This record gives sequence, C-alpha cells and structure tokens, in this order.
Amino acid sequence: MKQAVEVKPVQETFPPGAGPVQHTSGERAATTPPEKMGSVLEALRSRIAPQERFASAPRPSLSLGPEALDGALPGHGLKTGALHEVLPAGHGDFTAGIGFGVCLLARLLRQRPGPVLLVVPAHLSSNAGALYPPGLAALGFDPNRLIQVEARKPIDVLWALEEGLSHAPLAAVAGLLPDQARAYDFAASRRLGLRAARHGVTALLMRGRQTCAENTAAETRWSVSTLPSHKFYPGQAGPGAPHWRLQLLKCRQGLSRRLSQHWDVEWDHETLSFRLPAPLADPAPDHAFWQRDTSRTWAAAS
Amino acid sequence: MRSGSATPPGPGRQPRDDEPLVLVTTTDSGQRITALNRAAGALGFLPGMALADARAIHPALRVAHADLQGDERALIRLALWCQCFSPFTRPDFPDGVSLDITGCAHLFGGEAALVDTLAKKLDGFGLTARLALAPTIGGAWALARHAPVEKLIVSRDTLHKHMMPLPVCALRLEQNTVEAMEKLGLKHVGDLIGRPRAPLAARFGPFALRRLDEALGHEEESFRPLNPPLLHAAHCRFAEPIVTEEAIEIAIQRLACDLCVKLEKAGKGARRVELRLFRVDGWFEALPLATSTATRDAGHLAQLLGERLERITDRAGFGFEAASLTALTVETLTMRQEDLGEDLRAIRVGDLAPLLDRLVNRFGAQNVTRAAPHESFLPERASHSIPVLNGAGEHDWQAHLQHIQDGASFARPLFLFSVPELVTTLAGVPDGPPTRFEWRRVMHRVIRAEGPERIAPEWWRAPFGASRKTRDYFRIEDDTGRRFWLFRDGLYERDEEAPRWFLHGVFA
Repeated sequence: MKQAVEVKPVQETFPPGAGPVQHTSGERAATTPPEKMGSVLEALRSRIAPQERFASAPRPSLSLGPEALDGALPGHGLKTGALHEVLPAGHGDFTAGIGFGVCLLARLLRQRPGPVLLVVPAHLSSNAGALYPPGLAALGFDPNRLIQVEARKPIDVLWALEEGLSHAPLAAVAGLLPDQARAYDFAASRRLGLRAARHGVTALLMRGRQTCAENTAAETRWSVSTLPSHKFYPGQAGPGAPHWRLQLLKCRQGLSRRLSQHWDVEWDHETLSFRLPAPLADPAPDHAFWQRDTSRTWAAAS
Repeated sequence: MRSGSATPPGPGRQPRDDEPLVLVTTTDSGQRITALNRAAGALGFLPGMALADARAIHPALRVAHADLQGDERALIRLALWCQCFSPFTRPDFPDGVSLDITGCAHLFGGEAALVDTLAKKLDGFGLTARLALAPTIGGAWALARHAPVEKLIVSRDTLHKHMMPLPVCALRLEQNTVEAMEKLGLKHVGDLIGRPRAPLAARFGPFALRRLDEALGHEEESFRPLNPPLLHAAHCRFAEPIVTEEAIEIAIQRLACDLCVKLEKAGKGARRVELRLFRVDGWFEALPLATSTATRDAGHLAQLLGERLERITDRAGFGFEAASLTALTVETLTMRQEDLGEDLRAIRVGDLAPLLDRLVNRFGAQNVTRAAPHESFLPERASHSIPVLNGAGEHDWQAHLQHIQDGASFARPLFLFSVPELVTTLAGVPDGPPTRFEWRRVMHRVIRAEGPERIAPEWWRAPFGASRKTRDYFRIEDDTGRRFWLFRDGLYERDEEAPRWFLHGVFA
C-alpha cells in the first residue's frame, strides 16, 4: 500500500513595498542596505499586527519617577497590561524584592482604580512572616485596596493570577512564588502575559531567588538588593527610607546596554515615587551627629 | 453477666434470615427484646418479651444489643432521602417516616405509582416497609402500622371504614390511656366513634379525643417537616442514574437555570445555595456553596458548582437518580438593565463578585481576605484579616496608623511574624538596642537603631493575651542594610531574670 503525499506550493501575492517573505541566506541579508531593512521591517510588522490574536491596545506606561530609570525603559516607564518580574539579588534580599514590588503596586494604584489581588503561598507566613497591612500602609499602599489570597501550591498561585488577570476591575495582580516553583515556566509566563495584555491588568510576579526558569515571557525582570540607609536627615534618626539597588535583568524591546546598569533608589512613601539619593551624601553615619542627639537614638558606628 | 449474654454479629458475619436473632435493651426488669427477625418471630417471640424467657424456649437464640441512637440516625437519614419524593418529610421515632406528598404525586404518575416506586426502592435497600397513604396524618400513621396489608391507599371517603377495625393503640395515645380503654372494652377505634364525647373526654382527657378527630380528619393537624420549607429550589429527576461528571454538569446547568428563573421572579439573589444529588442507594451528597454577593447568574452558579464536582463523583456509588438545587439564603436583588449598547462584552467596573466567588470556591473562605484595622497598639492585634464574604467597608488606615505609630514614617515592618522569634543579643547598655544579635544562626551587626517605642501590655485582657510584659521596640539596620524590628520583652529593673529579645518583623 503506498501513500502519496503531495505538497502544493502556495503562491502568495504581496503588497507593493513589502516584498516577498522568504528565508534568506545570511549573505543575502547582509547585502540589504540598513535603511531599506528598516522599511521592510516596518511593512512586515504592519502586516502581522492585524493577525495577532490579541492585538495589544496601547496602554499607558507607569513612570517610576526618576528620569534615569524611565529612560531605560522602552515606553518611558513600565508597560501596564504586561507581566513583570521582581527577583531578590541575594539570600537576604527577599523582603527588599517584595518591598519594591509593593512600591510599584502603590504607584500603579494611583494611576488605576480598583483593588489589587495579591496571591501568596500558604507556607509564607510561617517562614518569612505574614504581610503586615500597617507595614503596607507605611510604604504608601492602601490596605483597603488589597485582596489577599492564600494558595497552597505554586500551581494554585498561578491559577489565581490567571483568574485575576481576566477581570478588568482589578488594578493589578501580584503573586509571590516560592524559591523552587517548577510550575512557573515559559508557557505559564506566556499565558499570564497574554491575559494581562488582553484585559490591561498589570501582573507582577515576585519570585524567589533559586528559580529554575530564567527563560520567561516577562516584559521586564528586576533584581533588587538591599542597601544601607543612604543618609540621615536631621530629625529623622535610625534607618531612613527604604534604599535598594535595582538592576534590570531583562527588558523586552529595551536597549541591551541598559541591562548591565544599576540604580540606587530610595522610596518616597509620601509622593509615591522613587528617587535617586543625592550622590554627595556620605553613606557612613555622622559620629558627631550621634553624640549630640543621644536622647532617642543609639548607634554603633561601623 | 450482661456482656456475656450478648453475641453481636461480627462485621464479617451477616445475620442469616433462618437463624433466630433478637435485639435487646436493658430495662429495670432485666433485658427485654426490642426487635426480632422473621425466624425469631416464627418461634413465637414478641417485642417486649424478657430475654430470659426467650432463652428458655430457644437456647441457641442469637442476641445483640439494640443501638437506639444508630436507629434514630438511620431513620433521619431515610427521612432525608425521602425528600426526593417530597420536600416535606420527617422521621416518626422510633419506627417510621412521614411524607407530606400534597401536590407531589402527579410527578410520579399518580399516588399508586408513587407508593409502588417508594416500596420498590425501600425493598431494594433491604428494608421491609409498610406503606399507607391517607388524607390525614393520624390516619396514615395508624394504617401504616396496623392495617392488614402492607401497601394501602385510602381516600377521604373510605378512611372511616378502614379506621374502624384498628386497635385503639393506632391513635397515637399514651400507653396508660390505651390500657385504660382496653380495660373498659374499648378495643377498636370503631368502639370510640359515635360514643358520647363528654364522658370519654372526662375519663381519658381531651387529648384522646383530639387524636381521634385528627385521625379521622375532623380536626387539622400541622406537619412539621425535618427541614423548614424551602422557598427557592429547583429539582430534576433522571431517567437513568447518572455517574459521570459531564452528565452531572448538564444537570447542574439545567437546575441553575430553573433556580435563577425562580429567583428572578421573586426579585431575589442567592447568597448560599446547596446542591443535593440523591443516590440510588438511599443517601444523598450535598454540595454547599456561598457567594460574595447575591447572584442569580445561572452560568456563574453552574461554573462554581462544576469546579467542585470531582469530590462528588468519587462518591457517586451506583449513580444519582435525582438532584435538587436550593437557595438557602437569599437577598433582595433589584433588576438590572442588561447591556443594550454594542459593547456587550464590556465589563462593568467594580463587578468583582464573580472573581471572588471563584477564588473562595477554590481556596476556601478563610483564605481570601481583606485587611481591617483594629484598635490596639499591640502589633499582632493592630490589624485583622476578614474573609471577603463577610463584606467589606472602607477603613481609615491613615488615621489608624497615625494613632498607633504617632506619625513616624516606616515605623511598621512589611512582614510580621505571628510568633516573635527569639534572638540572642549583645546589648551595649541595659536600656539600649543590641550591638549585635543572632537570628536564624546568622550574626547581624547593628549599625543603626531607632527606639525604643514602648508598647505596654493590654492588662485588661491579661489572662488571654500571650504577652504580659512591656515591650521596647527598636528599628534596627545591620551592616548589609537589612532592617529588623526587635523588641525586648520586659524591663531590666522590674524582672528578676534578664529580659529576652525577640525579632517581630522585617522591613523592606
């Protein structure tokens, strides 16, 4: 018994200017002049756009505050209606990562109405403590707008996030993933990203450190590490505003040279924005200042 | 003595019908028989007989103790199962079940067909049942227990005739009243009918006459069912028992549509519904469901129920033959204009209820929470998490924070341990912060510290509160920039032993 398979070549007509789509060999691509290449790419993009399943409507981007930070991001800010990831840089930076995520959410809440769905794994409270609403409020996040879900397994966290992303009344959806969450892979992140794009709800995933999947479909990936308090303001003793070192590990459509860069930012809970601390200030504590003001504070200089 | 005489049937040994078996209970006058099987009945034993007499007649008699509570439970279970015939059922202790089938018979093809169906089912369960259908509760009770046939349907016209030959104990009277009547020769119900009422009432009390009138339909009797009457419910019966999840889902969709139409007519929305699937072998599986707001969206209800079906299908047994969906708690829900515009799929802002319902349905009501402030300075009590189903209001967190931390910024940590963790410290001065501390086997050198923030114990709840010591809280930053919230439990000069240090939270 023989079976014949006939392959019928498909003839396509192309709009003028777009040119035929074919798999060009390397040398042929190299011969195309760069200025012509740009127009060809534009034409191809415009052809693909209507066929995209979820043509993403232009969403407002979330400015982070400092020009240096926003300039590194393609839309001059974090893209809303997309998936973003936050990772702690080191072992002790877990709370810094969550804190940065909470600050992003607080900034996002100012821009968009509705509550935030926060999904945490159930074992978190025994290990790292429970998220404390007064502490959230101290960072400028309104606890009235928080709906917290405790899920048992990482797969449940992802399920809850997907559910939340299908509901436009939410301002954002945030999830905490434990260190070893095998359920979170490229497919899972792509699902989250597509859902976020469809409904315009921003998804924020705060991951643990030793995660398996580095290859995910997130729009941006941030690494956060703790920094010592930058400086003291007179009248405010002890640890100051949260101070972190941010590093952009991944940024789709971003400039690759930005990726090696890092920013030291402080969080301003009153204006709900990040700020770059003044570069002149000395991070070491001022001994004379401490000796003068011993009524409220104690310090051991390093 | 007592334990030695009883030989309860072991779990592996089923009692055989041809082997005489009696159940006994211990009374003041020794052990007496309460129930017996057919073989024991053939030997001439009767309920109420002393066990010693029975043993004398038949030494090889098998005896087991009666489980009266178990009987009651089984009877309630049976009465609940009977709700697939009528919503109004109740157990009549110790040996019967009553059903109010007013308006239900036509669903089963008439009264005779209903009785036949019920008899066949009970027979299938292995129960020997006597059924009687009568226009009065008392009449049905009497005929089911004392009629000469096992199945009897009596109409209003023939009730009188059927009641006449029954013994007076069929009137649900007390034992001494029955005995007094029998002494006077009033052995049958017919003997009481037509007699002068005044002497009867004087001798036996008004209750006896009332029972007679109720049985004959001269006086109304109310039926108190096992569950209060349910207003909003949808029922369906299946031609064949269903087992598969798909079949149950289809049934649920139908039920949800029916229920929501009823709710819409009444202008109500359901907050709590219960799905009941009636098994062919005499039990039902219940699936309760709560929603965050009143709803009559059939698709939503069906989806929520469908997500939890897997637990049910494991226990389907030989299949489900009927199902009902009942709205247990309803709230008034005003009519809402359906979307008329072109954008039919536009989502109404603020309509979070479907999402919350799905989350609660999957993770449980306790795990989907909102935060609410609480008037307390103790950090672990300053905030409560309340389930979203309990409703939400806007809380003034700013005022609360202002109150508890006196205007200081960043004074509360992002993460709080429900149980503060003990740390070992090295403190420079007694009242000051530690210069170094060890937490989770890591030594942290303190670079900056702020405090103390003194929080006194809530003495008015001292017997309940875990902490009865004054705490001095310090915000501490270590050499890597991590910030911690430590407190010293107690004061140096007040307690004999040195106060211990705890870590209560971690800052961002």
